[in-house]
Amino acid sequence: MLKYALAACGAMDQTSVRLINSLLGNQPTAAVLEITLIGLTMKALDSGQVAVGGADLGLKINGQPAPRWTIHGVKEGDVVGFTKLNQGVRAYLGVAGGFDAPEILGSRSVYLRGSLGRPLKQGDEIGALAQTGNYAHTGKKLPQRFIPNLDMTRPFRVLPGPQYDYFSPKGIDIFSTAVYTVSPVSDRQGIRTDGQPVERIKGPDIITDPTPIGAIQVPGSGLPILLHRDAQVTGGYAKIALLCRADMDRAGQLCPGDKIRFQFVDRQTALSMLNEHEGLLAAAQKALAP
Amino acid sequence: MNATQYPIIRLLGEDSILVEFEAKVNWEVNTQVRRLLNALESQNIEAYKMALPSYRSLLIYFDPDKTSDELMLSRIHAAITESQLQDDPEARLFRLPTVYGGDHGPDVDRLAESSGITAEEVIQLSANLKLPIYFLGFICSQAYMGDIPIELQTPRHASPRPLVPGGSFGFGGPQANILAVDSPSGLNYVGRTFVKVFNPDNFPPTAFRPGDYVQCYAVDEKTALETGAYPMEEFIEPF
Repeated sequence: MLKYALAACGAMDQTSVRLINSLLGNQPTAAVLEITLIGLTMKALDSGQVAVGGADLGLKINGQPAPRWTIHGVKEGDVVGFTKLNQGVRAYLGVAGGFDAPEILGSRSVYLRGSLGRPLKQGDEIGALAQTGNYAHTGKKLPQRFIPNLDMTRPFRVLPGPQYDYFSPKGIDIFSTAVYTVSPVSDRQGIRTDGQPVERIKGPDIITDPTPIGAIQVPGSGLPILLHRDAQVTGGYAKIALLCRADMDRAGQLCPGDKIRFQFVDRQTALSMLNEHEGLLAAAQKALAP
Repeated sequence: MNATQYPIIRLLGEDSILVEFEAKVNWEVNTQVRRLLNALESQNIEAYKMALPSYRSLLIYFDPDKTSDELMLSRIHAAITESQLQDDPEARLFRLPTVYGGDHGPDVDRLAESSGITAEEVIQLSANLKLPIYFLGFICSQAYMGDIPIELQTPRHASPRPLVPGGSFGFGGPQANILAVDSPSGLNYVGRTFVKVFNPDNFPPTAFRPGDYVQCYAVDEKTALETGAYPMEEFIEPF
């Protein structure tokens, strides 16, 4: 889809979605709900199984606190709510079989900027697809060692971006040592930051070129913007760095006000981190297999 | 000081390679980008995943588990050599019925004022242009076009309009675009076509291909609205 200039889209925290689908025995591509911040209340119209992962948004079932990363059985009339912003910003609610959402261009993701799909609104009803193969059982849990670590004080590791040389040594030093605060205007397109501006030698404008997912661009303000799942595929600002793949999903859980740091690593380190991350997901899938 | 040797080829991130040609918006430079993409896609490289062209560069994604960096880089060098021998695919011309001025082209007067020509001249110039598509970018297959006559080159609005309707045709500096979907934009819009240039119910979602040409010829509003019901393929002519 990239050559048709369609954003990657999909969940901001892919790791959590893969784990929730593994837990429920769903296909890895089964649709889940991405629930951003708190306030959502849903009522079950039928009996079934649900599990919630990703951010800790104070999950309650029928008013009682309920653990994340656990399969819960629900029956008609049960109420599932998200009540408190404890850690992270995006929770993922999956159902056995996956949600029955319309496919657009081969994907069930909503892409607001492209008017592809829409967010759910009050009164909507949404069904589950029939589960094929392995059935989930109520009470099953994701083993503790696989639960993603959402500690945002760990640095976000980066590789040099395509316009790394547009920045002065001082600018690179600022970028890799300063503490940035996640801005409230962040969204699925970009995570914006406030903090010390990064000094440039050239730019900020360049001839419009590809903006890979995970690119960190520095516009005229000097404040880094991390491009995430819904980002435009091309853009005209210099890109100082690329976030390592292994840190993308943790970045998808950044909350306005979080303090973050960037740290350059070499490509071998980035590849080992990615292999380790994929290895952990594969091990979780294996541990959860019936 | 030595002049920079193009193309510049380097690994980027964990799984991509960026190939950069000369740093300018120029049709000959962009032709090298498009030819390289065609050469890569015709080579059946197992580790190749996808690529995105832009004005002067090509971003190539590959699977690092299926190849070595050295092998992938050598495949790209070979594709560059081969791309210089290739013929370009036949260019096509999209002639899109377009209604100019009024609510559909709110910046006609702004362009006229800045160039010291009349509004009618702005419309006539715009409607006669046959613009090459350099690449599809930004969001939803938006066509990036260039080669704009100087009379139509005006800086973008200092603050973008919050919502410009899809199908709007406009200019900003040396660039032109047709908005794929309703979007915020700072370009100067002169008209609007009602032909859907992006349709997510189809695959591919647009018929535009880099290397094609677009002419937004002038029609009245009624004709523009009527023709909007036809798929964009109906408006293709040989170039």
